[in-house]
Amino acid sequence: MNAHARLLGCGKKGMLNMEGTEFNKTKIKVITGNSAAAHGAMLCRPEVLALYPITPQTEVVEEISGFYASGELDAEVVEVEGENSAMNIITAASAAGARAFTATSSYGLVYMYDALLQAAGYRVPIVMVNVNRETPGITAVSSGQQDMISTRDSGWIQIITSSCQEILDSIIMAYRLAEDFDIQVPVMVNYDGFYLSYLAEKVEVPCRADVDGFLAPLKDQPQRPILKPGEPMGFGTHGILEGYLELRYKHSTALERAKVKFDEIDKAFERHFGRSYGGQIDTYRTADADMVLVASGSLSGTAQKVIDLKRDQGLKIGLIRLRMFRPFPRERLIETLRGKKAIGVIDRSICFGWNSGPIYVELRALSPEIGYIPMMSFIDGIANMDVSVANIERMVRILQSASEGDSYQKVTWIGMEEE
Amino acid sequence: MTNRKGGLSKVFDYFCNEDPFAEGLSPCPGCPLELALRLLGKILGSQDLVMTGTPSCSNPVMTGQNVGAWHRLTAYCTLMTGAAANATGLSRQYRRSGQDATVVCFNGDGCAADIGFQALSGAAERGENFIYVCYDNEGYMNTGVQRSGTTPIGAKTATTPVGPKQRGKSTRRKNLPLLMAMHRIPYAATATLSHLEDFAKKLLKAKEKKNEGLAYIHLFAPCPTGWGVPTHQAIEVCRNAVRTNYFPLWEAEKGIFTLTHQVKKPKPIMEYTRLIKKYNHLKEDELERIQEEVDYEYEFLRHLTEFRKCVATKHQTAGE
Ligand SMILES: Cc1ncc(C[n+]2csc(CCOP(=O)(O)OP(=O)(O)O)c2C)c(N)n1
Ligand code: SF4
Repeated sequence: MNAHARLLGCGKKGMLNMEGTEFNKTKIKVITGNSAAAHGAMLCRPEVLALYPITPQTEVVEEISGFYASGELDAEVVEVEGENSAMNIITAASAAGARAFTATSSYGLVYMYDALLQAAGYRVPIVMVNVNRETPGITAVSSGQQDMISTRDSGWIQIITSSCQEILDSIIMAYRLAEDFDIQVPVMVNYDGFYLSYLAEKVEVPCRADVDGFLAPLKDQPQRPILKPGEPMGFGTHGILEGYLELRYKHSTALERAKVKFDEIDKAFERHFGRSYGGQIDTYRTADADMVLVASGSLSGTAQKVIDLKRDQGLKIGLIRLRMFRPFPRERLIETLRGKKAIGVIDRSICFGWNSGPIYVELRALSPEIGYIPMMSFIDGIANMDVSVANIERMVRILQSASEGDSYQKVTWIGMEEE
Repeated sequence: MTNRKGGLSKVFDYFCNEDPFAEGLSPCPGCPLELALRLLGKILGSQDLVMTGTPSCSNPVMTGQNVGAWHRLTAYCTLMTGAAANATGLSRQYRRSGQDATVVCFNGDGCAADIGFQALSGAAERGENFIYVCYDNEGYMNTGVQRSGTTPIGAKTATTPVGPKQRGKSTRRKNLPLLMAMHRIPYAATATLSHLEDFAKKLLKAKEKKNEGLAYIHLFAPCPTGWGVPTHQAIEVCRNAVRTNYFPLWEAEKGIFTLTHQVKKPKPIMEYTRLIKKYNHLKEDELERIQEEVDYEYEFLRHLTEFRKCVATKHQTAGE
């Protein structure tokens, strides 16, 4: 931590005398993914929060309410009447200058869809946790990534995490990214409902001063536009033609910048806290691999285990864990995948109209740069169906035979089709 | 309008205040929205005013549809769904950061009574600190005069036309100001543009009361274009709405109701409906039905105003 950051940390502490002493020291705790999210959010000192419960996210809002009640969180906490309002509240609060936070999942995420688009269009640097769950249609209180996927063109930055520690850390990094003057785009931090939300793991909970220090550089930037009483300004005024086009262009290029920025923030995080996750993508044994599996979220742990097993059997295989889905890490994926012999993509959601996985469809768009090699879509892990070691081994078998020149099926619905 | 001794009504003083809106606004000719907005700006003053507006007839003025905003105010453009939620977010942050602000939602009935009602009711229940002004033109006017929850029974709109099988809207209007008062918020009131002094007082009271929780003003604002009212007669329509008890003027503080304007001898509803083309098709029995609706609602309100007496004797603190 630099001197300036340390100073800032101390200064803040003095100011907020209501605050307890619980988080004055870095501590190791065994907590769930939801609890990690609540801790991460609280440590970033959000000023306005809107909270509405939904399985499997509920624990996040309960725990944050607890932080507020105990005095650990000094903020405006709105116990809102629905997610649509939750997103509208934090968007406007952010426009008025607040650091703002909310958390949701599935039905809640799609219920706030109009407000989600507005938050992105208004370029408010808010952070939201989305605990991945299947969406309305067939009622399924279960895990899956369809919720996040269905908002992929909303203009948000979307990050996918895979452990309780990573959830906590990613929220801190998310504020650094969202509030960066060159970015100013809302960030959605995703993690798997049920698998990660309720899983208790060892988590290092950083102390307040360290988090303050990490976020301190945000204070040294130029001021973003803020709506203040007595200072005439229109927030979200009507714009058409060139004006609209220009805003869209700027938004889109900010997302492009966010990719490298996220890598840099990951490195800065490592310097500050000693942990890093690879930025946009996390690669595992890919350097000399012929075949690569692409996955995201909690199933990556299982996939990693299968990679080790197969490596022991002499197979040259590696894993890419996608950490950033929007913006799509094109450059880093191309760099890692160029020259490989076969690629398998595991999706936990469906790209309707393409009868394949959405992440697979997007990777296919990189074929001109990667090379026209066998690329396969594996749909698995829908509605709490476990992506087991056996399932991934089956994927690897398909991948291997395709890499050896055998004919292959482009899309496999694991669990629907017998081997 | 009650005159002050030896001079003009107080409301004329407000007209001397600075007008935060540009000259020549963009509503239709004769639309009372312009008067409403200008007066609101002059009364509340622009120094701490933060206005929010939705897609609606106020949109061209508030957010400058196709041109540029027509005012020098701090303004935030909301969605129809989340207007009250946006105002919540703004006012919470101003409260937290210690900035004086009068956040005002200026929305149509379509937002307030229908699509944005959840957010409005939620904000009322939580006691958010802002003013919500619903200008009621009894329909979705910006999209071309469709029915809304506050469109009255019998009224002709683009989606409740008149033909052999339909006689305008078949269900009664939602009494939104009453619903809001039933949240027992610190301040709920009705107002209209023929009674400007009353409107002005209510706005100022709302500004004061919003520090205790949500303040709500339901502003009756006829739509000359959509209702078929000559451009010079919108204010006359407002006046007759009050005289017939179609739109009584009242206020409620934490559920304690007071009539702010007593109509000694209410005129028959015909005095009101005859000015408006959207009622042209109505026959005598249909008008009687509307009269019954008006009588019922007024009687209901009158009973509510009497409730104050029981509260005063039985539970001294109920209104606190
Ligand atoms: C979610 C949503 N649905 C529909 C619309 C289309 N729309 C624009 S203005 C409007 C009517 C608004 O009615 P009201 O709030 O009563 O205001 P008025 O037009 O009467 O001034 C509608 C339905 C919209 N902007 N947003
Ligand atoms: S349509 Fe009606 S409410 Fe809208 S601006 Fe015209 S007259 Fe006013």
